[in-house]
Amino acid sequence: MSFLGIYVFVGIDSESTGMTACEEQYYEECNLADLWVQGSGFSLDSLTYVKSVPGMKQAERRLQVDGKAIVRDKTSGEEEVSMQMNFVESNEISKLYLLEGEPYKAGRGGVYLDYFFSEKRGYKVGDTITLKLESTRFDVKVAGIFHNPEYVYYLEDVAAMMPDYGAYGFCFLDESEYPFEEIIYNQIIVDAEKIDNTAQVSDTEKEIQSQLAAQIKDVLDDQSIVVTGKDDQLSYQTYRSEMAQHKSMAFAFPIVFVLISLLGIITTMTRLMAKQRVQIGTMKALGFSTADVVMHYISYGFVLSLAGCVLGAVVGYYTLPDFIISMFVGSYILPYMHKGLSLMSLSMIAMMVSVSTLITFVACRKECALIPAQALRPAAPKVMKTSFVERSRVWKLLSFSTQWNLRDIIRNKMRTLMGIVGVVGCSMLLFSAFGCLDSIDHITTWMYGELNTAKNRIVLAEDIDYGTASDYAKQYGGQMIQSVAISLSPDEGVSSGISAGSASMGTSASTGSSASMGTSASTGSSASMGGGVISKTGTLTVLDRGNFMHYEDADMEHITLDKNEIAMTYKMAESLGVKEGSLVCWHVLGDDKIHKFRVGQIYRNPSVQGITMYREPYEKLNYKFVPTEILTNMTVPSSLADKDEIIGVQNTNAMMDSLKSMMEMMYTMAGILIAAAIILGVVVLYNLGVLSMVEKRREMATLKVLGYATSGVRAILAQQNTWITLIGIVLGFPAGFGILGVLFNDMPESMDYSIVVYPKTYLYTFVLTFLISWAVNRVMSREVKFIDMVEALKGQE
Amino acid sequence: MGTLIEFKNVERSYKRGDRTFYALKDVNLKIEEGKMVVILGPSGAGKSTLLNLLGGMDSPTGGEIIFRDKDIAKFSDDELTAYRAFFVGVVFQFYNLVPTLTAYENVALMKDIRKRALHSRYYKNRSELGELMDPAEALRAVGLGEHMDQFPSQMSGGEQQRTSIARALAKNPSILLCDEPTGALDTDTGRDVLRLLQDVSKTAGRTVVMVTHNSSFADIADCVIRVKNGTVVSVTENENPADASTISW
Repeated sequence: MSFLGIYVFVGIDSESTGMTACEEQYYEECNLADLWVQGSGFSLDSLTYVKSVPGMKQAERRLQVDGKAIVRDKTSGEEEVSMQMNFVESNEISKLYLLEGEPYKAGRGGVYLDYFFSEKRGYKVGDTITLKLESTRFDVKVAGIFHNPEYVYYLEDVAAMMPDYGAYGFCFLDESEYPFEEIIYNQIIVDAEKIDNTAQVSDTEKEIQSQLAAQIKDVLDDQSIVVTGKDDQLSYQTYRSEMAQHKSMAFAFPIVFVLISLLGIITTMTRLMAKQRVQIGTMKALGFSTADVVMHYISYGFVLSLAGCVLGAVVGYYTLPDFIISMFVGSYILPYMHKGLSLMSLSMIAMMVSVSTLITFVACRKECALIPAQALRPAAPKVMKTSFVERSRVWKLLSFSTQWNLRDIIRNKMRTLMGIVGVVGCSMLLFSAFGCLDSIDHITTWMYGELNTAKNRIVLAEDIDYGTASDYAKQYGGQMIQSVAISLSPDEGVSSGISAGSASMGTSASTGSSASMGTSASTGSSASMGGGVISKTGTLTVLDRGNFMHYEDADMEHITLDKNEIAMTYKMAESLGVKEGSLVCWHVLGDDKIHKFRVGQIYRNPSVQGITMYREPYEKLNYKFVPTEILTNMTVPSSLADKDEIIGVQNTNAMMDSLKSMMEMMYTMAGILIAAAIILGVVVLYNLGVLSMVEKRREMATLKVLGYATSGVRAILAQQNTWITLIGIVLGFPAGFGILGVLFNDMPESMDYSIVVYPKTYLYTFVLTFLISWAVNRVMSREVKFIDMVEALKGQE
Repeated sequence: MGTLIEFKNVERSYKRGDRTFYALKDVNLKIEEGKMVVILGPSGAGKSTLLNLLGGMDSPTGGEIIFRDKDIAKFSDDELTAYRAFFVGVVFQFYNLVPTLTAYENVALMKDIRKRALHSRYYKNRSELGELMDPAEALRAVGLGEHMDQFPSQMSGGEQQRTSIARALAKNPSILLCDEPTGALDTDTGRDVLRLLQDVSKTAGRTVVMVTHNSSFADIADCVIRVKNGTVVSVTENENPADASTISW
């Protein structure tokens, strides 16, 4: 019992402790940026201004732009893959973690490639790679292979749900490699004095972020620039959420195990001590003092649980974390991944050992306090009182076995409770395992079966002209869609907040202001919103005619978007703290025109958060509609992707398949949960079974003498087991939902995954739990056959 | 009245390693219907083994045990279960009441046993079976009419033993086996129990077999079987058994 509880706890806790430590070490070592300032162009003056803001340690300019890499491919000769490029003039913030090659030096030139890309595509230091930016090709020499703390998690585009490192890449280049005349920097990354590199952004740091953001906007005299903190970075946020999820898991699951183990220890130890009654009497009769006897039993409880805990910790530490970490290798890019022992694990061991020692002490003191003569006699039977049920009329109508079992349950509440808790734990874990798979499965069908019904998606180059795009759309009978990166904030944030400046900074958090959203909020709360950090970056989706995109409201009911209104995703509305009807401001990144609108509808999308509107109202705002993708149901030749104006063609079936293959990780996870559930169920039920077999041995022998067949006695035992199992399963369902809630709660802001449980999960959970319980009971009650009836005639020991 | 059970050359041995121990050897005896029989002997004489064989709780390693023309020595486990369920009532030294059931429920247990046994394939000739007694009536018969709703833990030893007797009687068994029924009781209470057992035998004409090491009980029996070292030493018929209330020990 101690072993099992500590095994799971230390195993999962060491993984999350170690991985969080790795993250912090990595961020510290590479000095991850604290703020990202994004705008349409930053001059050297802008940089100087930003640096002049009090509290700044360092700042650097860079141009981050999406381009292509032309890679050699044996079969098709040449292939274009996405490559995010960062042109930098220095690298002191978010430093490259160099794996190969020479460290970055301003002016030296060359390109630094990400590790997975170079690995998969076969590039080495010294090779030459052809890159492409806005249809201009240029060759660069590979100067190094690296990891970067801003790219712990990286997706090719926001619509993708899982990373596939190596299929696309990211790189850092010296600004001297920029293929065009003048380089226009679109980012300034900032290292602030009072924000450290620890994994968690504290509330104080959030306030500092928001103050700095407001000040940067002021010194640059441009309110349209977007300043984001670490929490808004997909990489940082996703890994943090993952870690938070692991932390919750590391806490939730093992706690269940530890609690059940404790319950188990309590029941076992008290009963064991009761069994030792005569032994204690004998020891005392022979002349041992009460203290001697107490010490004897305490050391017994102490040594056993300590041995179990230490063994559990050692085995747990050396088996579980490595296994879990191995599952995350493909999802996150970290230079090192290792486990770590936390103080929590040690305290859990200490707790476990002291509790079981304490229980032994309490149980043993009761027996040891008796004088030898008393202890040598069997304990007087428990005084029975009739309960309410037993006085009712129904009682008389119940069969003997029902009465017997009901009484047994009422009289042995602790044992029953433990049985129920064990079954709850078992069915809860099974339920969450199957529910997890259901939810993931649902997301794929939801995304590619309900929300997006197109068979193919043609991704267009940024510089495509409308005419060409429109021709493609006509040719393939497709729907044109434009995605634009925007910044969103609740109305009062942009319009009135800035003037208040930093005076009342930090007086209210984002949630504080959400309550007064839609009405005219007080300047106090709006000022902190104006800081810019609270504003969210998102995606504006502009729809042309067509019906490949479908929408569902918060309750997953189908809705039709209003042609003249702007709809917002559920997750975005939640993080901005706005509702249907609230006023919200948005502006395109890099454009200072701020628009205000009323949220017309709320819809849900699993991976793209932001707003959606139709083409007509978008154009009325004086924007040109330039599609970024075309959705179609017609077959699109893959050769289309070779055209300059086409980035790629994605087949939804293929995407669904690749998603499904990513789900293998989930299957492994589910496998672990199921294994844990089975172990838990078997261990708890077996332990209980042994206890009740020992206790009821004499009763069962008597029943056999009186004329019960072995099968009859087993049926009585099975009946009680069935009751406990049924109650446990029924309670296990909501508990399983709770676990799923914990798992899905810590999703990154960009993801809107909801818990979906198919009816089959209820069935599987029910059948499997029942099967486990039934099997354990069958094995246990086989013992009845071997109970010697003669025992019943003998005196009580 | 005739012979209810007959032991013919019955032997019960246990193997321990290479050696064989005989708990009973070459036992021949007859239990007459309606008689009160006392099996007497010191500890380890084999009287409990004898009782186990009579009650179908154990099978002999040799010989025959004839119960109403059937050799129960050859019975399977299931047949023995049915035999116990239908014909044997047992009163234990330590009462062995189910602690979670009231006196009434402990007695009513027999209904459940009968119901289950009737489903079995054995003893299809149901005419041999006696009518079940009403549990309340059985309890009143042993003088516990007022204690029906009490749990064993709320009753005295004598009351528990009487409940145990009521439980055995409710089955309306062909043979009532008692294993040191007064062993855990004081003399007065023990005497009450003995009187009750004698009553059962005398008035209801039921066969009662009592195992004891207390030779004072020999006086109240119709027949006394003395055992020693696994063999029957003597069988004595008692023409005028004493009244149980007159003996003391």
